Amino acid sequence: MMRLLAVVAAITALAVACQRGSGPTLTVVIAEYSKDHTRPFWQALAEQYSKQGGPEVDLRIIDWNSIDQQVSTMIQNNQPPDVLNLNSFSSYARDGLLHPADDVLSPTTRDDFLEAFARGGQYQGKLYGMPILSSARAFFYNRDLFARAGVAAPPRTWDEVVQTARKIQALGSGVIGYALPLGPEEAQAEWSIWMWNGGGDWKAGDAWAINSDANVRTLTFLADLANRHHVTQVNPGKTNRTDGAFGLFKDGKVGMVIGFSPLAKQLDAEGKVKYGVAEMPTTRDKPLTLGVEDYLMAFKKKDNREAVKKFLDLYYQPDNITRWITAEGFLPVTKSGLERMRANAALKPYLDALPNARLVPTTDPAWDRVKLDVQQNIGLAVQPGGNPKQVLDQLQRNAVAAAAR
Amino acid sequence: MSGRRWEALLWLGPSLALIGGVVFYPAVALVRASLGRYSITGVYQGSVGAENYARLLEQPALPTVLANTAVWVTAVVSITVVISLALAQLLNQDFPGRALVRWALIVPWAASLIMTSTLFVWIYDYYFGALNQLLTSLHVLPQPVDWLGEDTTVMGAMIAVGIFVSLPFTTYVLLAGLAGIPGEVYEAARVDGASTWATYRLVTLPLLQPALLVAVVLNVIYVFNSFPIVWTLNDRNPGFGHDTMITYMYKIAFKSALRDVGLAAALGVVNVALILVAVVAYLRTVRWDDDAAAAGSA
Amino acid sequence: MLAAAGFALACGVLSPYAVMLLTALKPDAELRTTPPRVLPVAWHPGNFLDVLGDPAFADWLRVSLVVATASTAIVVLAAAPAAYYTARHRFPGRTAFLFVVLVTQMFSPTALVVGLYREFFELDLINTYAALILTNAAFNLAFAIWILRAFFASIPREIEEAAAVDGCGRLGVLMRVILPLSLPGLVTAVIFAFIAAWNEYIVALTLMTAPERKPLTVGITSYVTAYVQHWNHLFAASVLAIVPVVVLFALIERQLVGGLTAGSVK
Repeated sequence: MMRLLAVVAAITALAVACQRGSGPTLTVVIAEYSKDHTRPFWQALAEQYSKQGGPEVDLRIIDWNSIDQQVSTMIQNNQPPDVLNLNSFSSYARDGLLHPADDVLSPTTRDDFLEAFARGGQYQGKLYGMPILSSARAFFYNRDLFARAGVAAPPRTWDEVVQTARKIQALGSGVIGYALPLGPEEAQAEWSIWMWNGGGDWKAGDAWAINSDANVRTLTFLADLANRHHVTQVNPGKTNRTDGAFGLFKDGKVGMVIGFSPLAKQLDAEGKVKYGVAEMPTTRDKPLTLGVEDYLMAFKKKDNREAVKKFLDLYYQPDNITRWITAEGFLPVTKSGLERMRANAALKPYLDALPNARLVPTTDPAWDRVKLDVQQNIGLAVQPGGNPKQVLDQLQRNAVAAAAR
Repeated sequence: MSGRRWEALLWLGPSLALIGGVVFYPAVALVRASLGRYSITGVYQGSVGAENYARLLEQPALPTVLANTAVWVTAVVSITVVISLALAQLLNQDFPGRALVRWALIVPWAASLIMTSTLFVWIYDYYFGALNQLLTSLHVLPQPVDWLGEDTTVMGAMIAVGIFVSLPFTTYVLLAGLAGIPGEVYEAARVDGASTWATYRLVTLPLLQPALLVAVVLNVIYVFNSFPIVWTLNDRNPGFGHDTMITYMYKIAFKSALRDVGLAAALGVVNVALILVAVVAYLRTVRWDDDAAAAGSA
Repeated sequence: MLAAAGFALACGVLSPYAVMLLTALKPDAELRTTPPRVLPVAWHPGNFLDVLGDPAFADWLRVSLVVATASTAIVVLAAAPAAYYTARHRFPGRTAFLFVVLVTQMFSPTALVVGLYREFFELDLINTYAALILTNAAFNLAFAIWILRAFFASIPREIEEAAAVDGCGRLGVLMRVILPLSLPGLVTAVIFAFIAAWNEYIVALTLMTAPERKPLTVGITSYVTAYVQHWNHLFAASVLAIVPVVVLFALIERQLVGGLTAGSVK
């Protein structure tokens, strides 16, 4: 036995000795959107880049659950990546870690960004967060359940939401009117959409307004869906989106849910649920939806500007960016991309929603704390005995404190 | 004497080199981080002395999390050890198919904790889970229970999984201990006419002491530090109501509005201190000393 | 009677993993259905073929095997002498040594990854087997030392002395007499070290960033992302990941029984 162990140890030593070899590299950190498309695309892009004379790319694909931790580890050790893909950017800009986009993008690339997304990447008037892709939420409903419940059209007002949900819930055998995911995973997204359509917003002017009267009304409405009308799934404050609300909708047990294009893609692939996509029910004149913009940012490191610029320009070549966004099932962030993707009929409802889409205030560094606070706590408001006003008051206090930091 | 010392170094050298080379540096880095201020992104902004420790004490969630941790560690370790004593006794007997049972018992240990936790999220699920299906069809429950969503059941559900995955390790340590007990002592007890239970209590348990000690001490450490079970089964719940110190530390660093790696590092140091105190207290109560342990099963 | 109890135990322990296996055999559309069905309607063993045919899976498997095997070897090679010496000799610092070893276990790896990353970055060992092997070995040392020490201590000195008279050196005594007599402890230590390394996640996630250097635990998470979930593939991969450990265990399990009772105190 000991001899065997010694042999193994020797092999290890050899394996260790036969590695390494390094030169200048460009470290690129990309979040994993899907196993099938993310790495293949970026790997190919990295190879293309090196072939065109760029340095080797140290490509790190990191899953969304651990990317914050991994990036923090790199920064704590003064080893930030050169290029990073994330859903926030302004804290990095505030810490002075980033190149302004103008330093690392050619003007034609810069001018190709859709205006709303370019604005969504600005910190103190300068673009730092370059849009990598976008998505827009839309209102999904189950056509079969609607037919069975005798509902002709998706609800347009909140009263109709309640009535429709009640009719569907009344079908019985575990059918759910509206699936409401306010658990920690993505509560801020669900909340934003309802909040805006209830006439409220995250901020009034430059000041946080999380506990405005309109917002208290909206959160009370959501709590009532759960606890007064009983038309949601069990414990909506403790249900996540991906494996909670979406899972139920994919099984055909849910009348209505707020979804996005990746959900549509999965529904189409499984072919189990006949669904429709509609505009958000609203209390306003015109419905609003949530647009989500993910970012690319370039870290200031010694002599990396040219290399980063080359890499970004390569990604933003219309062929490349559109190929990837299409493969992952997301929406464009550039004018040229929008033109190309118009041809895709399946994307029409989302592309139509884009002009009415609002973004969450990622441009404010305080948002990076507010978002986590909302994710962790807003679910408490819709639990039995929860107090929407109290929860929003606390979130507001914390937001004001975060803004002062 | 000094020759003796060099000799000791020679025998302990490889272990000391590994620990010194790998563990020492990050441990020091952790302590240093706990004395620093960091921005939300992880940029070091200078030393703040013990401020992070003081802020830790001000966290409103701390008492809840401490209580959760105490319940979690005590329940998992004590129940695990009791069940494992029985399992080890069973697996130490000869019966047809014993090898297969031993293989089966290795599986919860062999499966990664993350995957077993994920698996139990599925099993516990209110709508899709096998557990509710089983219990309602057997009429144990009149209606399904949201095991991971109800405040009253989450901790119990997590503890059950904690025990489930700790059983193999504990059982095998005890089984190894049983295998080390010479058959003669049992024969002697039999000659004395002792009952089975008396033999177990008076002969087996004392001889099992060293193995039991290893099992308890290491389980306390591993269960305290166990991250995947609590993290995965509790990921749907808002706030810190069901967190243990380890998941709390992670949330402080990355998933709550605090987002503060300095504060989290302070908690990391406090955690080590807490485990240290618990282990020393345990060793004191069982009157562990080096020589007794060394002589224990001889 | 005993066999029945054993059978019940095996069933109880395996039943959750039966759910895992059966889920791994379902097509996408059947993964979550209400009311829940344990058995697939349409059996879909193709999930396993997909995973086995995935070149990435082969990489993850290779990395896991190399890291777990090598770190286990290092653990045993480093722990055995230390355990033997502390079991046999009183010397200043013995208790301190045993305690320091134990303290290494008390640090949560989650808390240490920042420092570990720095350490291995400075050594230019990010993305190397060495980094992960050494880390796993260091963190799994404590258990091996403590369990082996308990076993060594229980071996009567007379046996050793007899061997020494027969002309074995100290190391020879350890290798030829003590270790064989402590096989149950040694086997437990090997299983422990192997499984701990096999299932380690957070350090591997941090130190191994290149795709061809990721072990199974890190790799398989990509079957389920925030936007696309292949739960059946994830579960199939998890089932496959259990197999090597059970095989290893089956190969050395017999030793757990033998050991002291068979060979020694006569």
